[in-house]
Amino acid sequence: MNPSRPTRTPAAPPPPAGETSALTRRGFLKTTLQASAVLLAPQIVPGSVLGKDGGIAPSQRVVLGAIGIGNRGAYVLGCFLQEPDVQFVAIADVKAARRNAIKKLADTKYGNEDCATYRDLRELLARPDLDAVLIATGPNWHAAASILAAQAGKDVYCEKPCTKNIAESFALADAFRRTGRVFQAGTQRRSLPNFAFAVELAHRGKLGKLETLHAHPGGLGTSMSGWMAPETAPPNEEVDWDLYLGPAAWRPFNRRFLDGFNFEKGGGLTGGGCLEWGSHCVDLCQWANQADDTAPVEYEPKDGKLFARYANGTRLVLRNDGWLPLGSCPVRFEGDRAWVETADNGDLVASSEALLQGKGAKIGGYPADFHVRDFLDGVKTRGHTRANADIACWAHIACHAANIALYLNRKVQYDPRKNEFIGDEEANRLRSEALRDPWRV
Amino acid sequence: MTPPSLSTRRSIRLVLALTSALALLIAPASAAERAAESRAKEQELIRILQSAAPAAEKAIPCKQLAIYGTPTAVPALAPLLADPDLSSWARIALEAIPGPAADAALRDALARVEGRLLVGVINSIGVRSDAQATDGLVAKLKNPDAEVASAAAIALGRIGSAAAAQALLPALSTTRGDVGSAVAEGLILCAERSLAGGNNAEAVKLYDAVRKANVIRPRIIEATRGAILARQSDGLPLLLEQLHSTETEFFRIGLRVARELPGRPVTDALVAELGRSSAERQPLVLLALADRSDDAVMPAVLKAAGSGSTDLRLAAIRVLEHDGDAASVPVLLEAAVDNDARLASAAKVALLKLEGPAVDADLLARLPQATGKTLQTLLELAAQRRLPAALPAVLRSIESPDPATRRAAIEGVGALGNEAQAADLVKLLAKTSDAPARGDLQKALTALCARAGTRCVPALLPLARHTDSELRMAGLHLLASVGGPEALAAVTRAINDADEAVQDDAVGLLATWPNNWPDDVGAAEPLLNLAKSGKKLAHQLQGVRGYLQYIQENKRLSDAEKVGQVKELLTLIQRPEEKRLAIAALGTLPTASSLDLLGTLANDRAVAEEAYLAIVAVAPSKRLTDVSPEMRRKALQLVLDRSQNNPTRKKAEGALNALK
Repeated sequence: MNPSRPTRTPAAPPPPAGETSALTRRGFLKTTLQASAVLLAPQIVPGSVLGKDGGIAPSQRVVLGAIGIGNRGAYVLGCFLQEPDVQFVAIADVKAARRNAIKKLADTKYGNEDCATYRDLRELLARPDLDAVLIATGPNWHAAASILAAQAGKDVYCEKPCTKNIAESFALADAFRRTGRVFQAGTQRRSLPNFAFAVELAHRGKLGKLETLHAHPGGLGTSMSGWMAPETAPPNEEVDWDLYLGPAAWRPFNRRFLDGFNFEKGGGLTGGGCLEWGSHCVDLCQWANQADDTAPVEYEPKDGKLFARYANGTRLVLRNDGWLPLGSCPVRFEGDRAWVETADNGDLVASSEALLQGKGAKIGGYPADFHVRDFLDGVKTRGHTRANADIACWAHIACHAANIALYLNRKVQYDPRKNEFIGDEEANRLRSEALRDPWRV
Repeated sequence: MTPPSLSTRRSIRLVLALTSALALLIAPASAAERAAESRAKEQELIRILQSAAPAAEKAIPCKQLAIYGTPTAVPALAPLLADPDLSSWARIALEAIPGPAADAALRDALARVEGRLLVGVINSIGVRSDAQATDGLVAKLKNPDAEVASAAAIALGRIGSAAAAQALLPALSTTRGDVGSAVAEGLILCAERSLAGGNNAEAVKLYDAVRKANVIRPRIIEATRGAILARQSDGLPLLLEQLHSTETEFFRIGLRVARELPGRPVTDALVAELGRSSAERQPLVLLALADRSDDAVMPAVLKAAGSGSTDLRLAAIRVLEHDGDAASVPVLLEAAVDNDARLASAAKVALLKLEGPAVDADLLARLPQATGKTLQTLLELAAQRRLPAALPAVLRSIESPDPATRRAAIEGVGALGNEAQAADLVKLLAKTSDAPARGDLQKALTALCARAGTRCVPALLPLARHTDSELRMAGLHLLASVGGPEALAAVTRAINDADEAVQDDAVGLLATWPNNWPDDVGAAEPLLNLAKSGKKLAHQLQGVRGYLQYIQENKRLSDAEKVGQVKELLTLIQRPEEKRLAIAALGTLPTASSLDLLGTLANDRAVAEEAYLAIVAVAPSKRLTDVSPEMRRKALQLVLDRSQNNPTRKKAEGALNALK
């Protein structure tokens, strides 16, 4: 196979014509569910699954482990721990201080000393008692760890950005389809009512024909990851540098790389806001455009913005300014009749107040607990989560393709069906990047 | 963070220089220009790789060759595959560079490197799916290093050819542990390749081989899924076998595949399975069934919503909430009046969310004949779904002898009615003595008035004149909620009501007359009168507060004009409580005259500290354009010298320093 023309690993037989809608239909079901996600999410699981009289039978508990838990991960883990049907039992982290802190948190909650600690995620994943894992390592490890977990028979909630490039995005979706495991990307805005309401307006035609979607990427810079001068590495027991590097190309220890949040974000292109925030706001635009199974076909950096276009003609604009003061991660959906804008403070603003009738209670601060609950429901029902691997795959591809256009500083055209940048060899080569041994996706 | 060392800075400079050079290179240009520049860049990158430069300086060039490299770069990259520091970087380029030269370099390395470096090389061969490497990979299946053998098995799977599969099949029975798992994974990848090529029989053979092998459970689960899907409709028995399994993992993969395997016979079988499953599993099977898309699904869901265990009914109702239509109304209505609160609540939510005019028409058609709890439910739904056509039926029930029905009807009028129904509700309120019923009516009137606005005033005025004080107060509150001159006049009149409680209420409403600010300018005069000659000190204070609020919120007045009106107010008030309110207002109005006025008020010992605090707010303000820096300093120095309050003095000192 010519590596400049990678194709997806086939995973399942294509259903006959007219029957492809099993996932699509579920996607629609999810879409309609979103408008009332907050109220309804806890009700999705039938009572029998949750056990009787509020008590959780051991057989109905989701036994959870966590991999790479820092600040963000600790917040999401807190959302898991507040769910009565979660039993958290193990933490894997290459950094001793972090794994010890999480063990202390868990042991304090349960009043015992049972939380197991691991330096190597493979040891944690080998435990047969785990149903699911929370992965919040840092983007360098997200896809590789998620795929390892799926192959070990675990369901996965993974923080974003979930992948480092287009090839990893497909690999992630393929792995979860092949293994039948449940995946939830940490794009919790899919489970928040203000974003869901705005999307619902788009889906129900209240905005007219969708013309332009706006997303706030939080910066459009891209650059390559690098190599810094060696420093004396701490003992492996304190920081396992080899495991920390994981799938990233080798380089000597330098403590400035230990900021896992930013290390190798975006892989070959260290990414900037296109991945960090785009995995949220571009994802929301994909949802609004009912484009969860595709990505824009054209991307052009211009005047400090990134202009993209879907095959259905809808435009996607990534811009950093000109937003209403509604907080972080704003999105704006414009149709030929009306528009709506919303962001993290939970407010919605529309071209007409009448559009906002029935918007429901305001929930600001982008909490993740509804999204976590949706994941746990998926673990039990084996249904599709709101940010499942296929949805995450295409949202990330849209971000990576935008990043490639920004990096090359030129317009690129992308064929989502063939996974190919049209007539652009350099863009095509940026779709993937070799992983360091022994890792693979 | 400590500053980077010299060598670190050197490395960083190198990275930045290369990145900058790259940025220049990738500036918009014609394809031909780009190609020429790429070749030049490639030569420079090759030169670096072949130089004696340290590894740190060769890493990023490797990465750039992934974008710009051609077969020309392969000889410079190939030796690095044996370099522990640079092998992973070199593979980034070699995986990406098209053509047989890169394939050959990786194949050659199979014999040259060992351990993890060899694993990396094998992984890259797998990514490139180099069929010519098959023999070399097959040989590595027997490598004593389990990681090498595993990598070879998966790389063969990625090649996915018949030869690869034939090599892997025997290994399935001769390998164990991690290698056995990798061999199984390789075969599953081969099966997927066969499936994509339309060779389902071969895929089934490979999946079945893995299913029956002694490998770890996850591989068997994956193979089971594949084996069902590859058999297409013939996979149904195997699917049902999973759904019957007593082992959770197999049951769960069954639930997953039940959503994927297409075809009406499959749906029919799942419907039958629903009836046979245990009560615990029924909701899960139903949810899987509901994710399928054919006509046989909905009848089964409707049936489940109306019968079976509570958990099954709940699951079905929640499916109907999203997928239901008018046909779902009967079963949902039945559940909505069920004695089980969970069922009733879920059904009401579903009935609220069902979409479409046919649903509305069905609900409307049922209203006239409905009785009891069903009528109550329909009335609630009519209100929540905003069905104006339901209004006549709703009105018929507002005097129902059944309290729950009456309450639902009144809420319905509040949601659906207009000014005409406001009069009806007022009449009903006037003849109701029951406190909760009055509360319901007032709530409905509030909702109705919020929509109809001042058109409701004629209906509300009689209430404000009623002999019952409670009703007069209710009328005044409703009038205040709609605003306008007539409402204002009624509230102003009520300041002199015979009942002191009504007076207090009226004063409170007048003092917070924000309804249509600043359009209700008529509020100024009664507020000023209240401030001057209110019957109680509390009324006067409320008058002062209301008037000051009126001044501050009035967008037609400039800051200077507002200060002028506060100044006039100050001539009418004597008490410190009132002066403090005026000072607080002046503190928000940064003008020369407010600063001057505050200086004067600071001489009144009773309110001096409040005045100092206001001066500290006004003097540094950027909006204060008509005051010299000297005057600002003087005002702040006054505060610093005289205030007895340390926080105030600190603020003054800070502001003074900022002015310097």
